[in-house]
Amino acid sequence: MYGTQSKRDLTLEMQSQIPILRPSIHSRRANITVKFQDLYGFTVEGNVDDANIINEVREKVREQGRVWWSLEASKGANWYLQTDVSSALKASLKFSVLVNAITLKKLIRKGIPPVLRPKVWFSLSGAAKKKSTVPDSYYNDLIIAVEGKVTPATKQIDHDLPRTFPGHPWLDTPEGHASLRRVLVGYSFRDSDVGYCQGLNYVAALLLLVMKTEEDAFWMLAVLLENVLVNDCYSSNLSGCHVEQRVFKDLLKKKCPSINAHLESLEFDVSLVATEWFLCLFSKSLPSETTLRVWDVLFYEGAKVLFNVALAIFKMKEEELLMAHHVGDVINVIQNTTHHLFDPDDLLTVAFDKFDKLGFMTSTNISKERKKQEPAVMAELDQRLRRLNSSNLEVDS
Amino acid sequence: MGCSSSLPDRSPGRVGGLNPDNGGDSDAKNLRVKLVLLGDSGVGKSCIVLRFVRGQFDPTSKVTVGASFLSQTIALQDSTTVKFEIWDTAGQERYAALAPLYYRGAAVGVIVYDITNPDSFHKAQYWVKELQKHGSPDIVLALVGNKADLQEKREVSVQAGIEYAEKNGMFFIETSAKTADNINQLFEEIAKRLPRPSPS
Ligand SMILES: Nc1nc2c(ncn2[C@@H]2O[C@H](COP(=O)(O)OP(=O)(O)OP(=O)(O)O)[C@@H](O)[C@H]2O)c(=O)[nH]1
Ligand SMILES: [Mg+2]
Repeated sequence: MYGTQSKRDLTLEMQSQIPILRPSIHSRRANITVKFQDLYGFTVEGNVDDANIINEVREKVREQGRVWWSLEASKGANWYLQTDVSSALKASLKFSVLVNAITLKKLIRKGIPPVLRPKVWFSLSGAAKKKSTVPDSYYNDLIIAVEGKVTPATKQIDHDLPRTFPGHPWLDTPEGHASLRRVLVGYSFRDSDVGYCQGLNYVAALLLLVMKTEEDAFWMLAVLLENVLVNDCYSSNLSGCHVEQRVFKDLLKKKCPSINAHLESLEFDVSLVATEWFLCLFSKSLPSETTLRVWDVLFYEGAKVLFNVALAIFKMKEEELLMAHHVGDVINVIQNTTHHLFDPDDLLTVAFDKFDKLGFMTSTNISKERKKQEPAVMAELDQRLRRLNSSNLEVDS
Repeated sequence: MGCSSSLPDRSPGRVGGLNPDNGGDSDAKNLRVKLVLLGDSGVGKSCIVLRFVRGQFDPTSKVTVGASFLSQTIALQDSTTVKFEIWDTAGQERYAALAPLYYRGAAVGVIVYDITNPDSFHKAQYWVKELQKHGSPDIVLALVGNKADLQEKREVSVQAGIEYAEKNGMFFIETSAKTADNINQLFEEIAKRLPRPSPS
């Protein structure tokens, strides 16, 4: 109904295009830069090694698909949908459920095959449950009810549609814009505290690409903001985002003390790069399949995953970072790294093997850390507000 | 993914002669300058930076979230070079509380509005006040009226810009990232106004 049919066609079309390397090659310094389309239709610029890595990743994705299929064959279709450990613990614990849960966690960290992503994300994230608590017509009704309304949020959304992944073969078409607009505008009315926050455009766009229908993308966005991520991450003062930044700074200090000390000596504030990571959930910095692999784990294990990944990006480049003399050098190291992380396992191995061992990175611990940071964030935002108000008074008088 | 506005510095405009042995620190001949761009969403901050750094106008820039970083070096006539380390910030109101992170220690503040949009001119005045109060004491401020190519849609007069800038001791210029008009001039004029470290 909302152009989902042709989107599905496009997905297929894109997948058949996968192995094609675009022949537009030009040389840059000693390297050869190649432009090609990745799994989700994004144009990527990289060297020949990068192109090879992308092809290897495609092969790994296919392999991972075979693993999932064979598990379906042995455990039954949808086995992964019945692995809620907490409810199994409450009911008399079923051993098979526990085993499945452990298998599933490992499996998800190795990646959900793109074809299964819509289904697996939708159930494991809690989106399916959220949707089931309202009438079936909720989304359609919402879209019809908000049609033609103009608010500051809709105005900003309209400015941002063409500036969201420009050049993408589906997102940057009138149909793609219309679809993204409905999701974002719909959500802005569902939660008027959030309205629309820049950054959500990228998140929703990627959700649209992955999920089969616009409506499911909407519910994924809802569950993300309402259940998965920190509270008030995108609300009008971004307080949740500020909290996450402080938690992250603390973690970096604990987990990567030498990097942290060096960055402090350069007066490099990690929020300079990490703000965008936490608001776009890496979609603006990492290659698409790598971003989606992070999201695979995010939707199953929760927002703590963002910290694992952010720490891993710093950790992977420890040596280079320690040699950086300037803020600009640090940024270049980080951006070079994130843009070229075409093999998701390079990142996720560091993220989960290194930083999970000490047992600090649990959701409970992250919640505690957030609680600790909240008062400081509130005080800071409050102070800023008062400062602004007082200078406004000066202007008026 | 393909984030065009935050690729690392690999521009051909990079000029040799920054002394890499001391990490390229500023000296009297080679300045390293932190510059921050502030202004309403959509006024064209990212386009100005991309035009300056890459020499291109991409009508489909990407929405900036938080801020993005780019650098560009220019050579002046007196054979000094200035390396601008540019923070291009996000314009949406709710990002304003993040601004101090980016303007802290900045030697230059470039405040941009859109000449077709009076609201953005008002917003610019808030940023001027904020930087005057909370920016570095010797910060060089520039007021930029962008989208000067859209004369027929102009709603902020040149005079209004000039007057406001004069009153606040700022440098003023109208630019177009689309036609490249005055973009290089903007950065050259800023470079000339920088306080120079005394040669030692
Ligand atoms: N005609 C004209 N259009 C421009 C000019 N500069 C920018 N634009 C357009 O204005 C839109 C917004 O430009 P951006 O550079 O993305 O704006 P921004 O200030 O960075 O916005 P945020 O990142 O949201 O804060 C773009 O789609 C451009 O096409 C200009 O000089 N002339
Ligand atoms: Mg921008």
